[in-house]
Amino acid sequence: MRKLLYTFVVLFSMSLAANAQVRTLKGKVGDQNSAPLQGVTVRLQGKAEKAAITNEKGEYEIKAATGDFLLFSSVGFRTERIKVTAAGTLNVTLTEQVNIMDEVVVTAGGVKTKRKEIGTTSSIIKAESLVAGKSTSIAGGLQGKVAGLQVSNTGGGINPNFRLVLRGQRSLTGNNEALLVLDNVIVPSSMLGNLNPEDVEDIVVLNGSGAAALYGSQASNGALIVTTKKGKNGVTQVGFSQTTTVESVAFFPKIQERFGAGGSGYGVDLQGFGNFSYLENQSYGPAFDGSKRPLGPPLADGSQDSTYYQFYPGHNDFWNQGLINQTDFNVSNGDANSTMYFSAQYVGQSGTTPGDLYNRSNVRLNGTRRIGNTINLSYSTSYTQNRYDITTATGSMYDQMLNMPVNVDITRYKDWQNDKFANPNGFYNPWYPNPYFTAANNRSATRNDYLTANVELKFTPVKGLDFVARQGITTRNYSNKNTTGAFKFTDYAKHTDASSKSDIAASVSDGMGYSTQLLTDFFTQYKKTISDFSLNVILGGQWKQDQSKGINVSANGLVVPGLFNVNNGVGTPGASESNSLSHSMGAYSKGTFGYKNYLYLTVSGRKDWVSILAPENRTFFYPAAEMSFIASDAFDFLKNSRTISYLKLRGGWSKVGQVNLGPYALLPTFSPASGFPFGSQAGYTVGNTLVSNNLKPEITKGYEVGFDLNMFDDRFTSNVSFFHTNTTNQTVSTGVSGTTGFTSLRTNTGETMSEGLEVTTHVTPIRSKDWNVTVGGIYTLLKNEVVSISADLPRLGLTSTGVGSYAVAGQPFPVIMGYDYKRDAAGHVIVDATTGLPTQSDTISNLGNAQAKHKLSLDGSIKYKAFTLSFLFEYRGGYQIFNQIGPGMDWSGTGWRTALYDRKRFVFPNSVIADPANPGKYVTNTNIEIANGNGNNGFWTDGINRGVTSNYVTSADFWKLRELSLAYNVPSKLLANSKFIKGCTVSLQGRNLLVWMAPDNYYTDPEYSSAGSTSNGIGLSGYETPPSRYYGATVSFKF
Amino acid sequence: MIKNMKNMKNITAIILSGVMLLATSCNKYLDINTDPNNATSASAELILPQALNYTASMISSFNNYGVQVGGYGANAGGYGGFGTSITYNFTTSEYSGLFSSSYDLLNDYQTIINKTAGDANYNYFNAAANIMKALHFQLLVDTYNDVPYTDALQGSKKLSPTYTDAKVIYKSIADSLDAAIAKINAGAANTNVVPLGSADIMFGGNTTSWKKLANTIKLRILVRGNGKVTFSNSTFGSDGFLTTDALINPGYTRDNGKQNPKWNTWGWGYTGSPGTKSWMPSTFSKTFYDGIKLTDNGRGKAVYYQFPTTPTNQLGFEGVSVVSSPDGTFWFPSTSRVGTSAGNSVGVLKGPNAGLPVITAAESYFIQAEAALKGIISSTTAAAAFSNGITASFKYLYMLPDGSTSGNPTADAATYLTDNASSYLVNYGLATSDAQRLEAIITQKWVALNFVNSDQSWNDYRRTLYPKLVNTPGATALQTFASRVSESTRPDKLPTRVLYPASEGSYNTANVPKGISPFSSLIFWAQ
Repeated sequence: MRKLLYTFVVLFSMSLAANAQVRTLKGKVGDQNSAPLQGVTVRLQGKAEKAAITNEKGEYEIKAATGDFLLFSSVGFRTERIKVTAAGTLNVTLTEQVNIMDEVVVTAGGVKTKRKEIGTTSSIIKAESLVAGKSTSIAGGLQGKVAGLQVSNTGGGINPNFRLVLRGQRSLTGNNEALLVLDNVIVPSSMLGNLNPEDVEDIVVLNGSGAAALYGSQASNGALIVTTKKGKNGVTQVGFSQTTTVESVAFFPKIQERFGAGGSGYGVDLQGFGNFSYLENQSYGPAFDGSKRPLGPPLADGSQDSTYYQFYPGHNDFWNQGLINQTDFNVSNGDANSTMYFSAQYVGQSGTTPGDLYNRSNVRLNGTRRIGNTINLSYSTSYTQNRYDITTATGSMYDQMLNMPVNVDITRYKDWQNDKFANPNGFYNPWYPNPYFTAANNRSATRNDYLTANVELKFTPVKGLDFVARQGITTRNYSNKNTTGAFKFTDYAKHTDASSKSDIAASVSDGMGYSTQLLTDFFTQYKKTISDFSLNVILGGQWKQDQSKGINVSANGLVVPGLFNVNNGVGTPGASESNSLSHSMGAYSKGTFGYKNYLYLTVSGRKDWVSILAPENRTFFYPAAEMSFIASDAFDFLKNSRTISYLKLRGGWSKVGQVNLGPYALLPTFSPASGFPFGSQAGYTVGNTLVSNNLKPEITKGYEVGFDLNMFDDRFTSNVSFFHTNTTNQTVSTGVSGTTGFTSLRTNTGETMSEGLEVTTHVTPIRSKDWNVTVGGIYTLLKNEVVSISADLPRLGLTSTGVGSYAVAGQPFPVIMGYDYKRDAAGHVIVDATTGLPTQSDTISNLGNAQAKHKLSLDGSIKYKAFTLSFLFEYRGGYQIFNQIGPGMDWSGTGWRTALYDRKRFVFPNSVIADPANPGKYVTNTNIEIANGNGNNGFWTDGINRGVTSNYVTSADFWKLRELSLAYNVPSKLLANSKFIKGCTVSLQGRNLLVWMAPDNYYTDPEYSSAGSTSNGIGLSGYETPPSRYYGATVSFKF
Repeated sequence: MIKNMKNMKNITAIILSGVMLLATSCNKYLDINTDPNNATSASAELILPQALNYTASMISSFNNYGVQVGGYGANAGGYGGFGTSITYNFTTSEYSGLFSSSYDLLNDYQTIINKTAGDANYNYFNAAANIMKALHFQLLVDTYNDVPYTDALQGSKKLSPTYTDAKVIYKSIADSLDAAIAKINAGAANTNVVPLGSADIMFGGNTTSWKKLANTIKLRILVRGNGKVTFSNSTFGSDGFLTTDALINPGYTRDNGKQNPKWNTWGWGYTGSPGTKSWMPSTFSKTFYDGIKLTDNGRGKAVYYQFPTTPTNQLGFEGVSVVSSPDGTFWFPSTSRVGTSAGNSVGVLKGPNAGLPVITAAESYFIQAEAALKGIISSTTAAAAFSNGITASFKYLYMLPDGSTSGNPTADAATYLTDNASSYLVNYGLATSDAQRLEAIITQKWVALNFVNSDQSWNDYRRTLYPKLVNTPGATALQTFASRVSESTRPDKLPTRVLYPASEGSYNTANVPKGISPFSSLIFWAQ
């Protein structure tokens, strides 16, 4: 019976085999854009040996039988499993897959590495994701998309600056920004705002310092490796798109809406409110009553401006609605021997600040060329020019605007040339000029031209051995002209009432310069696989030159009106010049050893020589090692697991030296003092920086461990990393007591620590023919602290003033330090038993941590047929900001806080008074009121309010809807009538559409940093223009 | 394959040797760190003129502070926001430049001292720097009491300098002035000594004048520290005290950065735009000119615009009725008010090219008068010095920017005596007690230093409480210069000092004196 059964089974199988007719199946494989895909592996499921590979037209041939399953796989694409039907051809579309672990990425040095070999954290941002929100800047497009990367928009206005920091701040006073590498060339981070985001193929973010061996010590802060697009073999594509974006203010400082111009300086009314004044800038007058009131003194012609004494929303309406027009064109082409990609972009923008204009043009040409069988030449070049026409007086304009009481309808004063009440002569306020005039009269015209280029020659004498020579250049050439127009006031305007109007002399300042960075690389790479072992060794050298020059001349008191030329001034023109040149070179080696395609060990080492340190300190060596283990390939139980599709364990250790110093910083300097020379008499002043000739590089040591886990056929993907770094021997530039004779000090001291957790996870709950839904999130926990500084220097000032951002040993890095009220042990504010007034603390103290502890992004994409909806929310929390606009708003009386007690006497909240019975003890203050609860000589404008920093330190937590976009791919059948349009997409998108700030933050965007994008002194915002939201539409065509 | 491997070895060897070669020849590639932007050393000859010019602008800043706190000025119409200037409830940011700029400047003098120490050929430079260092430390002590001195100016050796007792500083700088005079005398005996020459933009290389300046500063220290400090040497050599004005003038002219600093602040900028207009004369100060307390038509017209009808205000009175300051302020008497042409006038501002007084002859004489009164010196009588002081004040005020005299100061000084024939404040002989004599000396000094070196009068007021103020409630603007909105707890409703700057709280936290009150923390010589 058993034998019979066996025979039956065999016979049945044979008959099945005979029935399933094997035949030659043909077809084409293409990507989502219908471009043919070359090199796609096509195989029969279960029969590894029967495989075919698509040719350059995407075509394949394979012998298969109806009912067989074919697997189509290619690096970077999701593998498709398709049942063979009776049809003779089988055309397949592969969809790109971002997180597939076998993909090859371009990492440090332009070396292509399989992701599974990488032992440290890396993320890829693909073009699609980068440009989803149509940010005109790459930095904006990266916000919230990478674990461990904090992208902060540090200033408002047109083409704002961004600060990109990976894994917290390491260097106390040196550079902490991630290294930016464009097509293997190190470029300054300012290029992020001057590249065409549409040109980007992908950005690989290396969170740790793993790239340091190949890029040198600048990569100790992590690196962003931007690769631009190249043409593809056999594909000719022409693209055109047009985007129009509207920019409007997303968050206004909170102003009180009940009290107008005046103050107790003009006497008080019966209720104790300050009297109305028709020319006062401070809003400490009586409560609004809606009556018609004069504004400013009568003009020479007898007319007098007036307003209704009520609230007008002019403080918000002052800001314009900006408009951005972005036009893109690109063409790419390729054959077996060469590819090329050409693109052009024009961005024209008007900003929210009245009168601010900006435009940017880009062209790019990338290409590759095979020469013979052994030489590959590739090049990428891009030229960008931008032009700014903006006001130089944003801060004072904003301050003047806030010093217009809310009973003044600000927008009425726009036409200062023609409207006699808006003209400086007739403007009602004698002290704070018309902000529209200030913006228009103080201008800056800037031009920047950028050229970046990279040429690479790769010689492959034998398979597995490459010699690569590469020359990169990035250069910026700029000029700017800042002008202030003259204004002569009439005698009447100068001497009416309490006028302080004074003639304005015209001035001009002209600057120009360049900065050029040359990067030369020469390396050899050898790859070899022997049975289960693989080897990949790189040995090379790198030479870098940074050179820059800047010249500025200025003239004042311009004679001929309207002629803004430095030869038109009176007196000696001002002139300055600065030059800088530095060289560095490095010899490096990196080897990756693999075992059975699931275990990889990479070790690297680099020795650097730098010109900017003294000869005895100028060389230093730094090693690194990392390991990657693909558990899901190593163990059979995982290999066969239906749940776990991919599991990689990884870890790395590295040490990097960084020279956080510019050239010429080792010797004291003497410079000609202002006014000198007087005739032939020269005079030199001693520089204010204490220098040391013995500075050494900073050393960062760190490790990281993590895993990548994909489950359920990659429907669940995750990356988890933990990192820890310590940076010692810091090169510190800090303020010191001026009584030393100097105001700043450069020395090697101090240690910082940064550690954290980075988690990225995405799930695809729905994946079907019509639907594809992916949602996920990125969470970063960061603990960034100053471990020690030195016995002499318990803390370092990171910003210039006494109140500001500090590094303090044992505290988060950085902290906000400033004045607080004097408090009792329980933290209650001590007030005077008679006056009810608190007292400012004698010295500054820690008022909050300025570095976001938690960062969370939630993103999602929902695809239904031709529609794609995607969103991205970002949250940052667990930190504080000092809103420096706050004291100014309280000064002007427009500040929300100033009306908290209805401008009346009040008991200082949560206060105590000295207990007369128990010296040194305090009792709760329930009834001692601050007598003058007004401003304009009262509490709100007094130093005891405005000088106390803690009044303006608020939570910096926020949620933002970073991106929201809806795209519609016009189905090809609708385009069929047009022979030449291959694809058309229409999309609507917005950025920073919604913002939610902490409830006590009345002021502005906590992403801002008034210290600028390159300063570590974060945690302070100032008179930056209010944050913007952007929303617009794009139509793009492919031909 | 073997061949390939061999090739590869060769190629690797070439690369390695190439790298090595470059590494060894790298010194040339790397030795490029020579600063093309700034000098990395400078001689005493180059630093001294700059430092003296810096002294001039510091003295001008101290004068501004004296005008504002010391009763000469009041808030003018057209400006608001005087805040602590009128409440006197100073914060750590008011007048902080007096502290920080002084040390910045002192470091220039200290650099000269360090460079020339032990080099007998540079005795003159060393002495001049030490004399100026003493001058600035006195200014600092008179403003802040205890300040870093022993530990100060040592760069990285002392990053958090401790504060030295003010009296110790007084004693030490008096000693250093004696040492400086000795150095000058030693220098004179050295044939190789490097003359100050054109680097001396105060005395043109006249070392006798330097010795007189040193003596005058020392006398100022002795008089102010009298009875509080035990000085090691209270005697003076034969060189005497300043009899002419010590003026710094590197060649001031109407040009970018080259104007007399006082003119630049209060008069007009070199482009012709007016300087600050936020202050005007105090009502109290004018009473010493317009006949209310004293009659002084000569100096009144020299000092004030539109005298005797010059508008005034009392500090702290804000309102639309307060007159705006004209371009160039009320402290510029000339009717020429166009910025591009004004500036050849008598008075306190004179013009963009006028020298800036460090110590005037008038001040020197009034210090001598007080010293004689108190028996510190016997080289002159108090009466003679008092009389010389008044004449010297007329002479300084009647001087034009180029040093020539307009009008007849000697005659007008005589008229002044007769115009106030019954006042012991003018006619020293009428004073019947030492208190009246001191009041006369300090009051005349107050008048002579009006807008000249106003901070010195403010120091003397706090020390002597002269000129006399009426402190009773309801005192009028004619009777007191205290602000109407003063928050001071003192009987005279005035502050007694400004606070240490915020930078010391930040960078020298452990050492900066705590609990300083603008109303009760007295300078050691103050009442």
